[in-house]
Amino acid sequence: MNTLKSRLRTVRNYLPLTFNFAQRELKVQHKRSVLGWAWSLLNPLSRIFVYSLVFGVIFRFQPPEAGSGQLNFAMYLFSGLVVWLLFESMIRGSMHWLISIGDLRRKVYFPLETVTFGGAAAVGFQALIEALVLIVFMAGYGNLGWTMLLIPVVLLLTAMFGLGIGMIMSVFNTRYRDVENLVVILLSTLFFLVPIVYTEEIIPEKAYGLPAADLIGANPVSQFVSTFRDIVYFLEWPSIGRISLLALYGLTSLGLGWWFLNRQSMALSEEM
Amino acid sequence: MIVREDLAIRIKDVSKSYRLIRNRPTSLKEAIIRRSRRFSIENFWALRDIDLDIPKGSFFGLIGHNGSGKSTLLKLLSGIHRQTSGSIEINGQLSALLELGAGFHPELTGRENIYLNGAILGMNRRQMSELVEEIVEFSGIGDFVDSPVRVYSSGMYVRLGFAIAVHVNPEILLVDEVIAVGDEEFQRKCLNHMEMLRDKGVTIVLVSHDIEQVRNLCDRVAWIDKAYLVEVGEPGEVCDRYLTHVDHGGDSTERDN
Repeated sequence: MNTLKSRLRTVRNYLPLTFNFAQRELKVQHKRSVLGWAWSLLNPLSRIFVYSLVFGVIFRFQPPEAGSGQLNFAMYLFSGLVVWLLFESMIRGSMHWLISIGDLRRKVYFPLETVTFGGAAAVGFQALIEALVLIVFMAGYGNLGWTMLLIPVVLLLTAMFGLGIGMIMSVFNTRYRDVENLVVILLSTLFFLVPIVYTEEIIPEKAYGLPAADLIGANPVSQFVSTFRDIVYFLEWPSIGRISLLALYGLTSLGLGWWFLNRQSMALSEEM
Repeated sequence: MIVREDLAIRIKDVSKSYRLIRNRPTSLKEAIIRRSRRFSIENFWALRDIDLDIPKGSFFGLIGHNGSGKSTLLKLLSGIHRQTSGSIEINGQLSALLELGAGFHPELTGRENIYLNGAILGMNRRQMSELVEEIVEFSGIGDFVDSPVRVYSSGMYVRLGFAIAVHVNPEILLVDEVIAVGDEEFQRKCLNHMEMLRDKGVTIVLVSHDIEQVRNLCDRVAWIDKAYLVEVGEPGEVCDRYLTHVDHGGDSTERDN
């Protein structure tokens, strides 16, 4: 409890620095590019276009009926993708931020987690913008509802869940750079094991003797995705139990990750 | 431990060892395949049993050969690394100049970097806004402040870094030889500014190989050799003995352990 208190005090003292790292992340990302900020939206939009083309047009996946009665594959896809991109960026970002700050940390003291939290804030900001675009997109199809008020909550919990995993991976990655390559492979595999580009209904009950549908459903990432889809696509309120479960995932992951990063931070700063 | 109000820094029994790992696997593949083959870990003692009190308001010099442990001591004081044993007490806001412009991001402008560096040193945006003009003035970089620092000359880089570090109102300032980088005029400006800070009651710890500079500036000097503290005292005496030691080839190290 005491360590938690002192950690929180450190976070408060270094809030200006954390904020500055966040700003730096956002500013530097698109320096020296003509389109600048547009890139951060063009990336998800191009993925929506490609996946809609492949899975919606070519494979002719039928999305389930949205809250407003629409049957639009792009809408279905977009709502899942926002959560996935947030999760993925937190993990990949964490590894990248820690590596890129090594040079600085060798020369000046600051708590390592400031750079991770700063980067996370920048990614969170990006996710909020994507969510706004999503709402506008949904509104264009008349698919709006009060359940959307939960968007920040589900996104925050997703961010915490991804960030905790990212913190652990970033420590290992500082020692062994293979971790990043491995994580990229795992993430691209996981992407197809979560119902984002396909619907939950088409997953077979059993495949190769394994309960495929249950396995995919039990994956925490699937639960974040489907809860988010409930509130923005189906416009249904998730159960209290579901939200509590997501909160448990988020808090446990962030708690463990933060604790681990802290425990390793002094050793890491000599290895960077 | 009793906190002594007259001390800015109190170093007690501090030792620091670094693990020198030979043949350490750098990839997972190596780590798994070569698990049976042992990589050796050796301890290298960079500092041993250092006891040092640095009084408030003093201009404290650290001298010694390259690799004697001076910079390691500054790293411990600034918190970049942690001592292996012993304790370090710091009383007051500390600002370290271990490498000028260390926190600069090449793609950001000078002004943006001033805010970033200020934040590293614990200042918020409002506090920095009050200092920006003064920093730009002191560094003499003029209109370049709104250009990205990657276009700066190395002199401008150093001047801006120094200007930031001395303007954040530190109570303790650690300086690691950095001022030797600028030209004669800027060096003089830095020295004058440090003397001004000292007169304001700021404690300054200076690592330098310029013995004459140490003799003129410092009011106390510590000589560190091969990880051990050799002696602490009046600049004149310590510097003389250090120079005699250097003249004799540095072999007859006397250690007062």
